[in-house]
Amino acid sequence: MDPELIDDCVHCGFCLPTCPTYVLWGEEMDSPRGRIHLMKQHVEGTPLTDEMAGHFDACLGCMACVTACPSGVRYDKLIEQTRAEVEREHVREPSDRALRELVFQLFPYPRRLRAMRLPLRLSAGLRRRIAPGLERVNPSLAAMADLAPERPSRVRLPRRVEAVGRRRATVGMLTGCVQGEFFPQVNAATARVLAMEGCEVVIPPAQGCCGALPLHSGRPEQAVRFARRTVAVFERAGVDTIVVNAAGCGSTMKEYAEIFEGIGDGEWAGRARAIRAVDLAEYLAELGPAARRHPLPLAVAYHDACHLAHAQGVRSQPRELLAAIPGLELREIAESSICCGSAGTYNLFQPEAARELGDRKAGRVLATRADLLVSANPGCTMQITSAIRRSGAAPIPVAHTAQVLDASLRGLEKVA
Amino acid sequence: MTETLDELARRLEEALPPGAVITDPVRLRTYECDGLTHHRAVPGVVVLPESAEQIAAVVRLCGEYGVPFVARGAGTGLSGGALPRTDGVLVVTSKMRRILAVDLANRRAVVEPGVTNLAITEAVREHGYYYAPDPSSQQVCTIGGNVAENSGGAHCLKYGFTVNHVLALEIVTPDGEIVTLDADDPGYDLLGAFVGSEGTLGITTKVTVRLSRAPQAVTTLLAAFKDIEQGGQAVSAIIGGGVVPAAIEMMDALAIEAAEAAVACAYPRGAGAVLIVELDGPAAEVAHQFAEVERVCLDSGAFELRTAAGPEERAAIWKGRKSAFAAVGRISPAYIVQDGVVPRTALPEVLASIDRLSAEHGIRVANVFHAGDGNLHPLVLFDDAEPGAGERAELVSGRILDLCIEHGGSITGEHGVGVDKSRYMPKMFTDDDLDTMQLVRCAFDSRGLSNPGKIFPTPRLCGEVPGVRKGVHPLVESGRAEQF
Amino acid sequence: MSTPQNTGPRDAPYGTGAHRAAGEALRGTGVTVREADPDDAVAGVMPSWVALPESTEEVAALMRVSASHDLAVVPAGGGTRLHWGAPPDRCDLLVDTCCLNAIPEHASGDLVVRAQAGVTMDALAEALAAEGQELALDVPVPGSTVGGTLATAAAGPRRLRYGTARDLLIGITVVLADGTIARSGGKVVKNVAGYDLGKLFTGSYGTLGIITEAVFRLHPVSPARRWITADLPADPGAVAAALAASQAEPSAVELDWLAPSPRFTVSALVEGAAVEDRAHAVRAVLGGDGGGKAPGWWGAPPGEVLLELRVPPSGVDGALSAVAARGLPARVRGALASAVLQIAPAVDIGGPEFAAFVSGLRGDVAPFGGRLTVLAAPPELARLADRWGPVGALPLMRRVKERFDPGRRMSPGRLAGGI
Repeated sequence: MDPELIDDCVHCGFCLPTCPTYVLWGEEMDSPRGRIHLMKQHVEGTPLTDEMAGHFDACLGCMACVTACPSGVRYDKLIEQTRAEVEREHVREPSDRALRELVFQLFPYPRRLRAMRLPLRLSAGLRRRIAPGLERVNPSLAAMADLAPERPSRVRLPRRVEAVGRRRATVGMLTGCVQGEFFPQVNAATARVLAMEGCEVVIPPAQGCCGALPLHSGRPEQAVRFARRTVAVFERAGVDTIVVNAAGCGSTMKEYAEIFEGIGDGEWAGRARAIRAVDLAEYLAELGPAARRHPLPLAVAYHDACHLAHAQGVRSQPRELLAAIPGLELREIAESSICCGSAGTYNLFQPEAARELGDRKAGRVLATRADLLVSANPGCTMQITSAIRRSGAAPIPVAHTAQVLDASLRGLEKVA
Repeated sequence: MTETLDELARRLEEALPPGAVITDPVRLRTYECDGLTHHRAVPGVVVLPESAEQIAAVVRLCGEYGVPFVARGAGTGLSGGALPRTDGVLVVTSKMRRILAVDLANRRAVVEPGVTNLAITEAVREHGYYYAPDPSSQQVCTIGGNVAENSGGAHCLKYGFTVNHVLALEIVTPDGEIVTLDADDPGYDLLGAFVGSEGTLGITTKVTVRLSRAPQAVTTLLAAFKDIEQGGQAVSAIIGGGVVPAAIEMMDALAIEAAEAAVACAYPRGAGAVLIVELDGPAAEVAHQFAEVERVCLDSGAFELRTAAGPEERAAIWKGRKSAFAAVGRISPAYIVQDGVVPRTALPEVLASIDRLSAEHGIRVANVFHAGDGNLHPLVLFDDAEPGAGERAELVSGRILDLCIEHGGSITGEHGVGVDKSRYMPKMFTDDDLDTMQLVRCAFDSRGLSNPGKIFPTPRLCGEVPGVRKGVHPLVESGRAEQF
Repeated sequence: MSTPQNTGPRDAPYGTGAHRAAGEALRGTGVTVREADPDDAVAGVMPSWVALPESTEEVAALMRVSASHDLAVVPAGGGTRLHWGAPPDRCDLLVDTCCLNAIPEHASGDLVVRAQAGVTMDALAEALAAEGQELALDVPVPGSTVGGTLATAAAGPRRLRYGTARDLLIGITVVLADGTIARSGGKVVKNVAGYDLGKLFTGSYGTLGIITEAVFRLHPVSPARRWITADLPADPGAVAAALAASQAEPSAVELDWLAPSPRFTVSALVEGAAVEDRAHAVRAVLGGDGGGKAPGWWGAPPGEVLLELRVPPSGVDGALSAVAARGLPARVRGALASAVLQIAPAVDIGGPEFAAFVSGLRGDVAPFGGRLTVLAAPPELARLADRWGPVGALPLMRRVKERFDPGRRMSPGRLAGGI
């Protein structure tokens, strides 16, 4: 934990109302300002107690505080360093340890994830029946089962998708682990939209996790390994731009160079800098529209994924893209800057808090009375869908920005 | 923790919901200061009550054990008003954040103390209303804290302070009674006296605020001047011309530099001072006043004027100003914010004196201030790693307050006295003034348990309420005896 | 009116040695002191002496003598509201502030004025008008002084826009019962240093000490004013609420009504740079003529015997119906949009009838969140009535009184609960 970064905090408290755990509990220790104070205590010699670790673990890493901070405190860096410190120093309960192992050996590996989907791919009815029991045995596993979307059909993407019409650019595309496994249709839509807008899309088959999940959970070694592999894969594919449709992945990939520099690896930092990672909406907004938009008479509520809005500062672009679709009415969700509780692996490790935040978000989403919810992050989509299911309200369909654009560009009646 | 506090903590745990009493030392330390970090004290116990009844129970228990208590909202205060007591209980109202009622027919809302200032406006905005006082920290600071500090904000020039917008308060007195103070009560304006008493007269548990109608038109103008003197002239000329804008704010070159670094506010290049003037009210009146303000600014030497047409452009103009305090962190490792007030007409002279002080002591001072009401916020910058710099900054900071007093102003316009400025109180007030204020304190809190050590430079004892007495003021005896 | 009673210093009947000694001591201060006459009576209670101090220090000297001789003291300004509130339990010395009539400072560039307590509001207005400024407190009765206006917390029609005395007061100098001179606030508008004694003394009716000087924030005199007046058959409160919520931003919306007639006269004032546009907006809601002048009754109290009705704005029409239902002829006038109204029952009302009216109406308006106090009524009329009604903060007020005036010598008994 870098004392200089800690000292940047002037204790003004502007982060408090943006912090999901402070919003929930109203306690200083579970606010960014309080956590920075705890970091300072630790740096100054206070041992890492169970209480302290608990407050760090409770942070969702949503980075809303980074957006809000007028002093420019790099809380993102600080919490990353802190999580690594917690992993190194703190001895967790055996059950907690086991769960973490399971998640980190599972989620970042698409093939393992595919295998594991079987037990998660229970019918809705069966899931409801076992849910209470599972909740008792292990709330995290219950959360996992609850979150998994139903039976996505597997989509195979080609290695290369040709541009439709005149080729305006060639870009790589990240398929991601959770996105690829749980939401393959989003990847398909992304590729189609890019192609229809005149991009040749290169999709290397050997991609794995970009490193976001381990990085945000205090496992920098694993993260660095994944980052190197990702850079290498796209270098081999011969692209200098990688379009990313998952917010968490995009924010990590934009930090690759910084991550490598952090461990003194100048060579890889240079290689990372040579490839630009860019969010899909950000990229499309820059590129400008080429294909014709067909009307989609829908009321759409747009959800800000934290790793898009806060970590990457991408807020206006997806809204502009959506609003440009004829007939589409864009509705704002109240408290849009507050995290939905998904936050990468958060809903697995802190299921109670995640659930409260999910319920809060679901309420705000339902209040918009929109026909469709648009979310640019697979974690958010799973989290909000399951919260709405839990509330007993009529489910609201959820789609990725890419899918809405895809439907409009292709002139479909509805969003797939 | 002492045995008394140990036992008190046990009693508090019995009286409050699970988890509402914090005694873990690591957690306690996160409450050691508010927005003013150079005063720190780890509270003996922290409690997080959820109702007036629970606060009353806490206060009564503190009374039983003779333990002092301090109330805290979001902990954003800049005078150490919520500085805890190591031998006391910190009562944090951050869990009491329900908006209890919005009564548009009567243009009022009833809220719990932990509701943020901005949350009130957000709750009524769609109906065309807002809550007028707008401290810069309005998205964070709580209404309970606003009541304690009588918070103002950029727009108090036209609309007044918290005290002008609070219709009733429910408080827990230092004796643990729940009492309502109502603006409509005949007799002493206790509501008015309580607002701004910095938590020394009790703890606010419910606030009824006045809601104001959102103005028909709002125009915001940014004027860039070559130096702060020109900006100051413009301010005087605007007010002298009979226009009372909603806000007039000024920033000097150094403050602009900090804001640019933090939020890239893109103020006019080369500006030695920028003035933000906001006009609001009926559209026709605003248009009339705008023409007047524009003319005055140009006459005073403004080299660039920008006008915000819509909310986004307005936000862009305000962005630099609103972030200025915290933004100074980007251009200086450490800083002290002052909050002195001078009569508006003394601004040019006082600013020039601050410049001299700054040069004399080699300490940079950035000026961000509510120019319309002469409320200066000099940011005294220093490097805490440099030996002696902190002391010099303190010195400059103190001299600035002296300047304010010399010019008939005040040591604090909105941040409160707290612990930070209590030592300056005897420069602004006589012993008799302070003793008389102490009478109010004693009427509410005869044992001095409610936020002791704030506002007043030396703790004074209340003594028994005297019976029929002839001659000398009791405090003349007791107070003097203590001082000399 | 009953004959004024002389109460004299406690245990010192008129003409005794103690009484004489007190009188000599008062004169010994060098302040002009004269024997009181029946015209000096305070709500029927006659003092022994009247002092005419010319400075805060002279007031302090008088108060020190009063403290050592246990004299009960009542401050008086223009005497226009001396009959307001309950009669004092006793009164030895009347401190007439008429000679505290200087305006030591008018910082026009800062829109601030410092005035002594005995300056009349009219004199102050005249001085300020010379610089195009005003203290935006309407004067209900000509001759009222700065000190009296503060002590009775009096305010007029424009309270809607500018607030009341407590909102415009930024600094105060007072002399306590023992002669201590204390100041709070200052001469800058924005100031949160220390307790605001000014607020405490606003509405104190002389029971905490004597106000000797006050500092106010000022406003530029409005370049133009228009009044729009209309008669309404019913529900004036609803119309006032609509006006208050409108973008015309009226400075005042006043009612004049002779209960129980079905004719409510409502008059709204707009001020500022674009009055014609705003007057037009008001007419759109209120109707009425375009005459533009203030109606004759504007800002004047509706009678001699005065009740004050305060109610949340949405309860105004209900409260007015309750007044009408009481069946007694009464004139009701006041700030309709702020929902602070004065009620003047007919002059020939009897004591029991008056008491029944007060307690009955108080009960009627309570469900609307309303409260009723007796501002001014001769003692024989008010004897049977509860002047104040329930006051939640009374125990705290008592404690404040005990601290400031432990000997109960400052206007004792003038306020609620015998304070």
